[in-house]
Amino acid sequence: MKIKEANAGALTNFEVLDFLRSRGASKDPTRVIVPIAPSEFKVYDYLVESAACNQTKEHINDFLERCKNYKLAKAEVLNIINLRPSALVEIDPIIEQSEKRFGKQLEELVNLVVEVLPEPPTQKNAEQGNSEDKEETIDRKDMDEGERETTNGDEDQAEQTEDGEKMEDS
Amino acid sequence: MFYLSLIEHTLRLPPHLLNLPLDEAIKIELEALFLDKVIANLGLCISVYDIRSIKGGFIYPGDGASTYTVEFRLIVFRPFVGEIIVAKLKESDANGLRLSLGFFDDIYIPVHLLPIPSRFESDPNNRNQGRWIWDFGEAEEAQSEEPRFVIDGMDQIKFRVHSVIYPSIPLEQPENSKPFAPMVITGSIDYDGLGPVSWWEEAEMVQEES
Repeated sequence: MKIKEANAGALTNFEVLDFLRSRGASKDPTRVIVPIAPSEFKVYDYLVESAACNQTKEHINDFLERCKNYKLAKAEVLNIINLRPSALVEIDPIIEQSEKRFGKQLEELVNLVVEVLPEPPTQKNAEQGNSEDKEETIDRKDMDEGERETTNGDEDQAEQTEDGEKMEDS
Repeated sequence: MFYLSLIEHTLRLPPHLLNLPLDEAIKIELEALFLDKVIANLGLCISVYDIRSIKGGFIYPGDGASTYTVEFRLIVFRPFVGEIIVAKLKESDANGLRLSLGFFDDIYIPVHLLPIPSRFESDPNNRNQGRWIWDFGEAEEAQSEEPRFVIDGMDQIKFRVHSVIYPSIPLEQPENSKPFAPMVITGSIDYDGLGPVSWWEEAEMVQEES
């Protein structure tokens, strides 16, 4: 096996989610039929709960255009698109030397993010203040996690030990 | 978090896949070989993105299967240092925290990368497990009432990637140790905006009121 180009391009969470969706991944339990491996489904489950799930290509392109005049590093733009910070305190760890480079402009940047990129689903729940719904989803999530962990935990660990050796040989 | 990597690999296509069209058969074989596996310095392979070229098709003497040289792109999970990732708490013990992303579980936050000062309260039932509490601000209040900044399994935790290491495969492992982890991410939550998301939602509300 030869690695021709270790870095042939960075992908945002949205692009990976879009790719998995285009192959047929979805939330409902028709999962056995589609040609997607269980490990890919785990990635899909993670991405669908992140800020990437409501994004579209237009949102991303729009945001890229509008943030050009802020002179952000590529890594910072990637972080912002993946996380969708909606407050100053959330954007602070993403941007290095934020005071020196931006100062007051940081608020503008946060407003731009909130305006252009759609809200992730968990933030919507929190803002509506529906505590009952939140508890239900948390319980269900915990149950699902518990089940999945017990069945897949051993498999994954075994796979990891096996593949470690394999990769060394090749 | 995710990168595309261009890989070239020489692949033996087992004969039982010969009834399928070539692209599909090669894709199935590549997925079986690479998916959910860690390649050193490249990351965890998530998915086969596309197949660029297929060359070869030679049959070696004594073998019933044909061998192809395939060039393809993989989606790999390889966070860069400084990236901010949201994860769930998996375990919490005296050495620090362990977080999980669902598809990747070996994320550790060691004690020195937790916000200072933090203290550990061990669970009376389970000696090794416990929860971490951040003693921020008013020390007296924190002691008397229920502490405000607890790291428990309720909500998601934002952390910054401190380093990603690929330890080499050990020759022998003692019996009861943890299974070998080919890729380990060390994270830090020692900064504004990092740590459980609920810590900073309170801060936002306080700011709006004032």
